[in-house]
Amino acid sequence: MEKQTISRRFFLFTSSMAASLAFIPAGVKAFYNNVKRAIVRSKEKETVSIIVNKQKHTLSVDSRTTLLDLLREELHLTGSKKGCDHGQCGACTVHIDGQRALSCLSLAVMMEGHEITTIEGLAQDGKLHPMQQAFLECDGFQCGYCTPGQIMSAVACVNEGRTGSVAEIKEFMSGNLCRCGAYNGIVESIQKVAAR
Amino acid sequence: MRPFTFQRIQSLDQASARKANDGHQCIAGGTNLLDLMKKNITVPEVLLDITKALPDQIETTAKGIRIGAMVRNSAAANHDLIRSKFPLVSKALLAGASPQIRNMASIGGNLLQRTRCPYFYDTTLPCNKRNPGTGCGAIDGENRMSAIVGYSTECVAVHPSDLCIALAALDANVIIRTTDKKETIIPFKDFHRLPGETPEQDNNLPVSGIITAVDIPSNQFFKNAAYVKLRDRESYAFALISVAAALELNGNKIVQARLASGGVAHKPWRWYEAEAFLKGKNATLETFQKAAAIVVKETKPLSNNAFKVPMLKGAVEVALQNCLNA
Amino acid sequence: MAEGRVEGISKVTGSGKYAAEYKVDNVCYGVIVGSTIPAGEIEAYHLDDAKEVAGVLDIITHLNRPSIPAFENEESIKKSGFSLPVLHTDKVFFKGQPIALVIAETLEDATYAASLVTATYKQSSFNVDFDTTHPSIPLAGTGKERGTMDAWSNAAFVADAEYNIKHEVHNPMEMHATIATWVSKDKLKLWDKNQGVNNVQGTLSRLWKMPAANIEVISEFVGGGFGAGLLVWPHVLMTVMAAQQVKRPVKVVLTRPQMFTLVGYRPQAWQKVKIGADKDGNFLGILHQSKHSKSVYDNYREGITRISRMLYKIPNAKTEEATVSLNLSAPTWMRGPGDCSGAFGLECAIDELSYQLKKDPVQLRLQNLATEIDPDTQKPWSTNFLNECVEKGAANIEWAKYRKAQPASVKEGDWMIGYGMACGMWFAGRSKASAGIKMQKDGTISVETAMTDIGTGTGTGMQNIAHDNLGIPKNKIKVNLGNSNLPAAPSQGGSTGLSTMSGAVVAACNEFRKKIAELASVVDEAYKHVNPADIVFTKNGVALQTQGNRPVSYENIFAKNNLEIIDVQATSGPGEERQKYAFCSGAAHFVRVKVHAKTGKVKVDKIVSVVDAGYVVNDKAAANQISGAAVGGLGMALTEEQLVDHKLGCVVGNDLAGYHFPVNADAPIIDVSFIGKPDVNINPAGAKGLGEVGIIGMAPAVANAIYNATGKRLRNLPITPDKVLMA
Repeated sequence: MEKQTISRRFFLFTSSMAASLAFIPAGVKAFYNNVKRAIVRSKEKETVSIIVNKQKHTLSVDSRTTLLDLLREELHLTGSKKGCDHGQCGACTVHIDGQRALSCLSLAVMMEGHEITTIEGLAQDGKLHPMQQAFLECDGFQCGYCTPGQIMSAVACVNEGRTGSVAEIKEFMSGNLCRCGAYNGIVESIQKVAAR
Repeated sequence: MRPFTFQRIQSLDQASARKANDGHQCIAGGTNLLDLMKKNITVPEVLLDITKALPDQIETTAKGIRIGAMVRNSAAANHDLIRSKFPLVSKALLAGASPQIRNMASIGGNLLQRTRCPYFYDTTLPCNKRNPGTGCGAIDGENRMSAIVGYSTECVAVHPSDLCIALAALDANVIIRTTDKKETIIPFKDFHRLPGETPEQDNNLPVSGIITAVDIPSNQFFKNAAYVKLRDRESYAFALISVAAALELNGNKIVQARLASGGVAHKPWRWYEAEAFLKGKNATLETFQKAAAIVVKETKPLSNNAFKVPMLKGAVEVALQNCLNA
Repeated sequence: MAEGRVEGISKVTGSGKYAAEYKVDNVCYGVIVGSTIPAGEIEAYHLDDAKEVAGVLDIITHLNRPSIPAFENEESIKKSGFSLPVLHTDKVFFKGQPIALVIAETLEDATYAASLVTATYKQSSFNVDFDTTHPSIPLAGTGKERGTMDAWSNAAFVADAEYNIKHEVHNPMEMHATIATWVSKDKLKLWDKNQGVNNVQGTLSRLWKMPAANIEVISEFVGGGFGAGLLVWPHVLMTVMAAQQVKRPVKVVLTRPQMFTLVGYRPQAWQKVKIGADKDGNFLGILHQSKHSKSVYDNYREGITRISRMLYKIPNAKTEEATVSLNLSAPTWMRGPGDCSGAFGLECAIDELSYQLKKDPVQLRLQNLATEIDPDTQKPWSTNFLNECVEKGAANIEWAKYRKAQPASVKEGDWMIGYGMACGMWFAGRSKASAGIKMQKDGTISVETAMTDIGTGTGTGMQNIAHDNLGIPKNKIKVNLGNSNLPAAPSQGGSTGLSTMSGAVVAACNEFRKKIAELASVVDEAYKHVNPADIVFTKNGVALQTQGNRPVSYENIFAKNNLEIIDVQATSGPGEERQKYAFCSGAAHFVRVKVHAKTGKVKVDKIVSVVDAGYVVNDKAAANQISGAAVGGLGMALTEEQLVDHKLGCVVGNDLAGYHFPVNADAPIIDVSFIGKPDVNINPAGAKGLGEVGIIGMAPAVANAIYNATGKRLRNLPITPDKVLMA
């Protein structure tokens, strides 16, 4: 099959190789009738300078690489977690220029000049951040996988002044899912730090 | 994700000129676009980073307020002027997504969010919006989240934004820069489209168009505005039904009312008939119940979302009541 | 440093390594391609586009993969016990079934190339519709029948209703991941997310017909399991095959949508419960029937009706079950498997009966609970303090003061307020396991086992037990777990983890004391005849508590015995006590709900859980488990439902935006307490498991509270606002 010219659409449709359709309703036949041919593109690399935990990195990155994958796969900073890769869980929460943000929905190439803080950069001079300490004391986790994201988000929650009530803390921590359900300890940790 | 060329854009002219090219796509906050790119639903050949080119200020204008397209959702929600004079906007923003996403998402991008219909999001399923001609999986499938008004046989998807519901209620204007013309203004009600025969088109943004700002005219709704959002969990979920309600009161008399909904249609939906009914009436529960009854008269649910009708009715009543306690 | 979990620092600093996070030289990435049809056969793969992607190393399909010895032929596949012979068949049983693995230099390359792989299929008919299929599937008796159904045909009060629960998905926060590397031709090493390293090791050993000793499996940190990590799933086999094919370490991380179809789920279930009582509220008989979904290729079965044979004194009991085969992926155990679903039917039915009887559901339960003898086995319960759980829970939520007998009688504006409660029970199991203790020259020890800690606090519990037994300060006790080279242990699941390990750790401590006595006797002969229990461990050495002190330094012990390390192991498991007694953990759950009359919104604003789990080894971790289970129960009750499209034959909305489990704001601060009385028969610690029992009974408590608030009896989970509105 001949490669077609580039168009706005990802897939070009031909109907040369029809799948059997006996059991798919008529209304959706067209979709299965089409066998897709793709335009295969080559990856492109970009140079980007980013500051992670106060350390500058100048890297050549695939334009597709997310900040999360850059942290985990290239810089081996695996504290930021991948829980969904689509902005639906909060496990990848980092601070970008001091604001909590999702590293899975950030392209590494767009981080040029930005300052990133990950869980690995939270403790200072070997001393845990008060929020890390509070999570430890209040048992604000079980399996620990959502924990770095919870802590980065919790630090921001306090900075944003969203700790006026249990309900407010809960609402402003609802972007961080915890399947173990350690929400009691998470709220308690934040109250503890906010009270200081 | 398909490989793409990444370009940093420095000016609006440059942005608009390049966007006119085939396969060129702008990115700002990226919270929806990157998601779509990972799913191969949006597959740009060239990705234009316009974060440096877009205005990122909130300013007062002669007629109201102008929110730059690059203003992050959380910045807008927490802005003093917006909180005091346009609280409906702040409330709607805070009802959406999560603090992290609000810190990233831009105001301009919020308008361009695509539907969260599960058939749209799964590239192995039929969807006319994603792949025209493949059929609508939701129309007689799992359409619990789908539209109850304004849909077509081609598409029953709903618009996902909360902000846009407030903007629709407040008669905002979308400010657009194109290559051929300096500035185009599209009234909010005309910005998003109904699916009709072309569900792949969400809105009327011109090919070279860049949203630069949203204007909201000054109004007297700031004392009595409410946003009610019902969803499958308490937070961090898209709306089953949402209602933006705003009243301008003179004593107990309704001078003017605005009612708009999310989760009901392919675009933010205004309930004009109910608004007209409310005008001049006393702000009582009975009035609100009648208005809610007028709202739901227009609706026509699908196989799995009949519940949206009573839910909408209840949400309208609650939102109007909340206006009085705002 | 404040006290926290033994692995706490690693978790709060992000330094703990989960499976996909190990830095392995020369690693490449695998991405799974799923079938796009629900049933049929693969006719052809179209790989040209994908192969064109730079960085692609190989694409394995059933046509070119290295063969798994146990999947040699149909018969050996059957014998392997592995229901889906991944990449060893052209058959497709469900949509999303792995049909290829793309292996590339980077994750981005592999992901892109995987999106370009397509196949053509010969499609067969399929069925994914549980609700319309199950009525035609016959039930069969299960468990021991008691009495007769005729004996209570004239019962004064009978509740008889059907209950449904939708398909739920575990969704641990860590997506399943495997890094596999063939360190030599016959030696395999895996970093893998699972709940039992020895199970993975044993399964791979059987499938590849190689000695288990040649397979090392590491799962030091496990980002949640809830049952999804108890089996070896297809992606693990694919990763091992891929590493064989490209002769490099390969890493495969499932995507979140794949987590919905490749690592199990709680099956959809239908139940019918008929329960009768006399005019005083004494239960006379029960008929509990259930059916649950399963896959066409797998024979998963869970005992949904079991709980009805255990919880109450019911002289006549009959239970029947069946499974319904669908073209969906295989379900598996999910937190409180069987009983969690069954408790919904049973505990709602009892609530319905209580309103008929006009009897407080708390009193009705207290009157009928079988706390002396397990009605199913007729063995005495070793301990069962469920009645105390009920009493304490009622007191903690002030049931007598606030709960109104008349439904829909308490309103605050548009909100209707109600109270509900239910009980949960789970068998308290214990398995055989080994533990080891190693002492270094500085007097620090490490306690070791192959068992994983999936977040339950097993490691911390082991540290506590070793500390209690040996008196060595906790900061001198390390815990090593989650490696198949460590002393063998079963998988962590079914609430047996700590119950099992406590026995093994105590045995290891005893062995360690014996060993120390023996080694110390080389320095001081007095130790030859001491009772090892009399040894105390001090900062610098050992001494005797009652037999004249006689300190001996660690330095001397190591030097005189010419040792670098002291190393003991011991194995412990259940014994005769299992013949004599029945064992259970119990829980009573109480909730207060607010239901919005106009919008159907349900808000659970109080939860009280009281648990009988024997001696509580670690208060904080135990309370955390229970409050977490309550959150899981809230999800089951109100939000969790995997949608299935019957026409297209697949799950839809399979991501964390489409499948809603509770966020922080969904849960109130949960009030957890324990009875805390040790069960002296179960294990040396007296601790019964508590992972499951916290979720069992939570969903019916919520449903019962909604009835109390609204007068609407909602028998189908999850109770989303649409169901409340439309009831």
